Amino acid sequence: MKIKIKKKLKGRQGNFILDVNISAEDKSFITVFGKSGAGKTTILRAIAGLLQPDEGYIEISGNVWFDSSKKINLPPQKRKVGFVFQDYALFPNMSVEENVAFGMESRDKNFLQRILEITELTDLRSRTIDTLSGGQKQRVAVARAVARKPDILLLDEPLSALDYETRRNLQEELVKIHRAFDLTTVMVSHDFSEVFRLSDVVFVVDKGKIVKKGRPEDVFIQEKISGKVKFSGAVLSIKRDETVFIVSVLIGNNIIKVVADPEEVENLREGDSVIIATKAFSPFILKS
Amino acid sequence: MNKIIGKIKNIESSDNISLVEIETEIGNMCAVVVETPQTATYLKIGEEVYVLFKETEVSVGKNVSGMLSLRNKISCSVERIEKGRILTRLTLKCRGKLIRSIITTKSAEKMGITVGR
Repeated sequence: MKIKIKKKLKGRQGNFILDVNISAEDKSFITVFGKSGAGKTTILRAIAGLLQPDEGYIEISGNVWFDSSKKINLPPQKRKVGFVFQDYALFPNMSVEENVAFGMESRDKNFLQRILEITELTDLRSRTIDTLSGGQKQRVAVARAVARKPDILLLDEPLSALDYETRRNLQEELVKIHRAFDLTTVMVSHDFSEVFRLSDVVFVVDKGKIVKKGRPEDVFIQEKISGKVKFSGAVLSIKRDETVFIVSVLIGNNIIKVVADPEEVENLREGDSVIIATKAFSPFILKS
Repeated sequence: MNKIIGKIKNIESSDNISLVEIETEIGNMCAVVVETPQTATYLKIGEEVYVLFKETEVSVGKNVSGMLSLRNKISCSVERIEKGRILTRLTLKCRGKLIRSIITTKSAEKMGITVGR
């Protein structure tokens, strides 16, 4: 897939130009990472045809969907896109199965069965949407998007409304679905650990520009460290204890304490994203 | 974290693990990593790398004789001592480079570590 778009945007801190160039191999799990207001969602909306770039080029699976120089602009219904929104956007009065089947171009019972199985919705197929939990609703939204057999699956902060545990389970499921249906997936997220866990390639967007791209481990780790044990987390507190500092770091839903030398914490602030790394020789492995 | 720049001089590998010799400003150092030249692009002779080691991993010896299994031994002088009740932070100097070590205050006192030694 090749995406090259320019679009003037109105942001909270004034106008800016979204000017991005995203290309990746088909079948990749691609994430667009950045703060809110950086222009991430606009990229997805442009791919889906819900918004027209001022200029640029969009090619998905070898088909040109948009090319401003040749005046090509496929309408949204001609673009094979599966779109999953943060707020699910499901039909509340329909059953799970009806919602999923709604996405299909032609009714294909076997395919429907397979989707429900992979998204673990088979047992919930007759339930109406308003009886489902947030995590279940989002699974239905993903299933409906996949049911269209899209050339590209677009996920707009799909897990941000969910609690930690559910988010974690759904992250694994997204990867499973991505692989099972051979999809090219573009996910927008500002959740560092999510991006780290899911993506093959990540594009970091800041004020409408791509500031970094590559494999998540290359993008997020400034220096290549040979230690294999790495976790990303957020600094909760930095406390001095005489000659050393005790840094509390939130990793997933665990808080760990790390002893640090004064020099190590010089540029560290509470709330910073950090990587905790240790050599592969040091950790104990205890069966839980 | 102590950080010293150097150049890879030699690499010996088993299936998954490599012993890497690095030429640095404070002498030759070596590191064992769970990588091989096949899995890590930076494992190349002549490649510029940083040797990183945590202050708490730096042991200090005085009048050392006999043999030790510690891989990297560097002669240093003590520049500064900051004593806490439990831990003592030593700033050590070797050929102009500073290395920090955190040891127990008990050890520091038992060894009689003083500035300039």
